[in-house]
Amino acid sequence: MTVAPPLANPLRAGPRIARTPQPCALVIFGATGDLTARKIVPALYNLALQRLLPAAFVVVGAARQALSSEAFRASLHADLVQFSRTKPINEDVWASFAEHVQYVSTQDAAGYDTLRETLAELDARAGTNGNRLFYLATPPSAYGPIIDLLKEHRLTEDVNARVVVEKPFGHDQASATELSQKLQDVFTEDEIFRIDHYLGKETVQNILVLRFANGIFEPIWNRQYVDHVQITVAESLGIEERGAYYEQAGALRDIVQNHLLQLVALVGMEPPVSFDAKSVRDEKLKVLRAIRPITEDETENHVVRGQYGSGFIEGAPARAYREEDGIKSDSATETFLAIRAYIDNWRWEGTPFYLRTGKRLPKRTTEIAIQFRAAPHAVFSREAAEGMEPNALVLRIQPDEGISLKFGAKVPVQGIRIRSVNMDFVYGASFMVDAPDAYETLILDALRGDATLFTRQDEVEQQWRFVDPIARAWSDSHRDPPIYPAGTWGPTEADLLMARDGRTWRKP
Amino acid sequence: MTVATDIDEAVWGARAEGVAALERELGRMRRSMGAHAKEQGVPVARASVLNLVVFATRDTHARRAAATVDELATRHPSRAIVVLADRRREGTAASLEMHCHLSHPSGAQQVSYEQILIRARGDADQRLASAVIPLLLPDLPVFLWWTETPPLDAAYFDELLRLADRLIVDSGDFARPDRTLPRLHAVAQSGHGRYGLTDFNWTRITPWRELVSQFFDVPAWRPFLDGITGVRVGFSVDADGREVHPSQALLLIGWLASRLGWHAVESLAPSEAGGLLFAMERADGTEIQTRVRPRYMRGIDEGNLSGLRIQATDGARQAQFVVKRVEDSSHASATVSIDGVTVAQRLVPLGKPGVSELLGEELTIARSDAIYEDALAALVALA
Repeated sequence: MTVAPPLANPLRAGPRIARTPQPCALVIFGATGDLTARKIVPALYNLALQRLLPAAFVVVGAARQALSSEAFRASLHADLVQFSRTKPINEDVWASFAEHVQYVSTQDAAGYDTLRETLAELDARAGTNGNRLFYLATPPSAYGPIIDLLKEHRLTEDVNARVVVEKPFGHDQASATELSQKLQDVFTEDEIFRIDHYLGKETVQNILVLRFANGIFEPIWNRQYVDHVQITVAESLGIEERGAYYEQAGALRDIVQNHLLQLVALVGMEPPVSFDAKSVRDEKLKVLRAIRPITEDETENHVVRGQYGSGFIEGAPARAYREEDGIKSDSATETFLAIRAYIDNWRWEGTPFYLRTGKRLPKRTTEIAIQFRAAPHAVFSREAAEGMEPNALVLRIQPDEGISLKFGAKVPVQGIRIRSVNMDFVYGASFMVDAPDAYETLILDALRGDATLFTRQDEVEQQWRFVDPIARAWSDSHRDPPIYPAGTWGPTEADLLMARDGRTWRKP
Repeated sequence: MTVATDIDEAVWGARAEGVAALERELGRMRRSMGAHAKEQGVPVARASVLNLVVFATRDTHARRAAATVDELATRHPSRAIVVLADRRREGTAASLEMHCHLSHPSGAQQVSYEQILIRARGDADQRLASAVIPLLLPDLPVFLWWTETPPLDAAYFDELLRLADRLIVDSGDFARPDRTLPRLHAVAQSGHGRYGLTDFNWTRITPWRELVSQFFDVPAWRPFLDGITGVRVGFSVDADGREVHPSQALLLIGWLASRLGWHAVESLAPSEAGGLLFAMERADGTEIQTRVRPRYMRGIDEGNLSGLRIQATDGARQAQFVVKRVEDSSHASATVSIDGVTVAQRLVPLGKPGVSELLGEELTIARSDAIYEDALAALVALA
């Protein structure tokens, strides 16, 4: 895997034109699948619209189906019309982009030879220069066989190859390790890009900027000043078409293992030495390691699960989970989770992190709330301070991305009366540019070889290490999760988890 | 004393006597807007992020700037202070008059922005800064947008510039860019550490610079960058060839020259109608023929680039890198041919950014763009 580094380009300097990647061939496995249609191709097209793709860039779709390149392009166009974030479609730009799109059927192993020859031919003709990005947009069961075939048919020899893998990365620690070993059979860890699309979101990256580009937050970002942290990842949707997958995964594997623990890591981590892939991921790993494990025996004390029953979402009736398509009528899969977690390190000792996530909650929202301790001494009379709440710094990830700080202020009347007010920073209102889509950011980063926003093997395994005992506790208990009506904030047990500590959930 | 007013109060709001009265009036408007919003359950945030001072001497410029700010405010709330100084009226007693209004930009319920007009009459130049200073919101950056060629030697320009963190000009409006652009370099130089300089015309050619850069990211084509022998840049003129604004073309040449270390051999010389022809030299001494030529093209604003052709050699191989605007569209085709054979071609959108988009893009970049200053410096050498 050695290709001489390209000569520097003196034109590529200055603040305006720095982010286009090197020439590359993007190979999508699972090219006829849902992810390609919904996310990858719309992201590529929108990158093309923004002139962010390299001058030499080709896409080769690969899937089992026998399909001509023309038919493949036509189906991508139909998907694009449906899923692009910018509309209407700029047909001229699409047509020019589509000229560089091809399809290779990998129905049988010989397809991989065709693929290798196609890529070699494109290197010479289109100038992609031996740079390849293999995108595994297939069900995880296909990862292993594809990797084997890539190796067997020498697709990664004598070229610069990287691979993008989508979650789930295994279903427990053992299978995650197995998957990593499989990938590392062919790629080095530096060449493996595991997508957790949450990390591609602007506001998630902004957590690091808020914490480490400002001098005023970090001194109070610890157990001395923070009472507790609440992280909510709420969805109003049900499981949609993903019944079969969800039935196996549940909220624990679907959200907690990846997105939620990654948010915990970003909120809890120590300052990295610099904003590069290794430093950031080293620090994330450190804090993930410090999360106190919840054993099977303790699960009941620290974790509440739930499953949605029928109810109403935004005024419309919603089915119960067990009535959804592809779900067993006695399913014990959790669709809601609340966890009280602790980070056992110098900074966070004794400060609880309350995490909750669920489907069919009243609204779609993701937020991180840092609840500070109350003022140490009551200067004002109880009457005056009645309307006061502790300070809270809330990072809203979606929707209405922004940051707000809650503090007490005097109501403008005679005498002292205190009320809590919010100081709001609205992300969209302060910068005139539209936030890029997470997939656009991540695909661009993968093309450029920047792994900062991707999850490393040791992080993934550490996350499973936290989640596995909880999953075991439930499967051993053979009990059903409590049912909560769709459109509510989860089962009452979740409120009790907080109430026991004398706290309450925020209403995000 | 009452002064007869020619101010359209529907646009600029009610007149206020002095800064204190004006602030009182804005405060009153904010409260009433807040109360109204409360009834509807939406809080109004006064989320100001910058002070924008616009200088204009013509009513049409002032109105156009006001409309831009209006558009801008939807996503970038600010306090805008428009200074309309009609300096042509001889004999009128010097006076200043202030108007203000507050509005929700359309579609944004949660933010409000404030617009203040300072109308100066007669010989009021030396009073302008004193009127602007008390109106600036504290602790926020000040952008000074000069809607015409900046009077580089005038004291009042300097006084207003002292208040600013950023000077915004549009070299597309310059009457003689080949003369003014090199002088702008001096302004940029004097701004170091004090203010940044933004030229909308520079922002407009970013897509062109991107496309040219992207050619030479491709390792197979990169060697040609060191072997450029000729550059031709076209810019759009009206059908009669009267509106000749070559500043975008000049900036592009200046950029290439500064990035690639070219030196001027022969200074700018007019060639065919409005075009320019000059010779430059690569670091290795090879001469580069450089030509800037006007071209009529439908559907393109005057001054915008119409095309670019770079000729280069690498050993015995010859290559052409061409970016060409597609007529009547906002696209360009980017083509590479080597030894007469087209090896790559793609169509890319150029966009049609309005002034508010250009300004928005500038806001994402703090401070000056050193690359722009280098390009200006290269033009100084050519002048």
